[in-house]
Amino acid sequence: MPGKTELSTKSREFLEDLRVYLFSNGKNSDDIQDIVEELEVHLMEAEKEGKSVEKIIGHSPKEYMEQLSNELAADYKSWFKYVMLIILGSFSFSLANDLFEGTLSYSVLELIGHVVLGVIFIFGMLMTFKYIVGNKLSKWKELSIFFVLGIIPIGLFVGLTYINRAVETPMIYFGTAGTILTAVITVVFLIAVSWWAKTWVLPIVLTMLLLPEYLFRLTAMVQETQMILSTVASFGGIGVYMFIDSKMNKAS
Amino acid sequence: MSTTQMMKGILDGCLLAIIKDKEVYGYELAERLERYGFDALSEGTIYPLLMRMQKEELVTSTRKKSTAGPKRKYYSLTSKGEQELDGFIRRWNDLQNNVNRILEHETSSDEF
Repeated sequence: MPGKTELSTKSREFLEDLRVYLFSNGKNSDDIQDIVEELEVHLMEAEKEGKSVEKIIGHSPKEYMEQLSNELAADYKSWFKYVMLIILGSFSFSLANDLFEGTLSYSVLELIGHVVLGVIFIFGMLMTFKYIVGNKLSKWKELSIFFVLGIIPIGLFVGLTYINRAVETPMIYFGTAGTILTAVITVVFLIAVSWWAKTWVLPIVLTMLLLPEYLFRLTAMVQETQMILSTVASFGGIGVYMFIDSKMNKAS
Repeated sequence: MSTTQMMKGILDGCLLAIIKDKEVYGYELAERLERYGFDALSEGTIYPLLMRMQKEELVTSTRKKSTAGPKRKYYSLTSKGEQELDGFIRRWNDLQNNVNRILEHETSSDEF
């Protein structure tokens, strides 16, 4: 963005925080862009004349962000889109994993649990974002909050697996035709999302995670060796991808 | 009505009056408010007000290139905004007259 370097760190931080805050409140991304740009112009001109950030946004950035947020309508449509994307995205990961095990079958509890946990995770994430940008926290505190945020869904999914073993709910069997159809839909979905989001990170990470394991299983190696090598290959592959990706981002 | 609410209503009227005078962008608007004496105000206060006034179709905005930096958003008054401004001027004059009358009569020593 032109002129962005002219802004002080404090102003830039405020604008970034505002973006996250408004996004977490489910506002339309065009509206967010609009007000952030307008304030950017204001902050730049104010700083040129030696005014402090407080002179513009007052002494409570959180209160000011809230005032701005109140004037923007919630954008439920794109919200719904994001929620569906995240839930379906996480579905496709477990689906792809299960596809290697043969035909698909899920219990009703598993299917419902997956959706519910997805929704819980999304709301938790948005609330955390809002909390972090609204309250100036130390880097250490911020990191621990993100750590907890990462641990909770893993714990919940592990919990779901255990409950699923203990509680009987009706099973849904997909059969061979259903499995193939689901696989095709998953692949189409992943490609469509990647196309839309302009990043191939999802299918690439997925392939890196699953393909080595599958290939090593075809070899005559000892099982432990297979596991170790495939894990190394998976994370090595993801690392190489991230390295190349960041190089390409810098170049463009 | 709390003081801040009353203040907001007054600020709304002032913004409309400044915008009617000349098409302005946010920073200019804030500066003119300050020059008229509203210098205790944090400048960003005008943006939530502008956003609401635009939603209520009292003002419209267009983006224009500036010599340096990103595009500026210029505001101008709609006909609905002009009506609102006329209404504000009437209400303000009434309020001012009433308050002045009270202050003149009640605070001068020769009464009663």
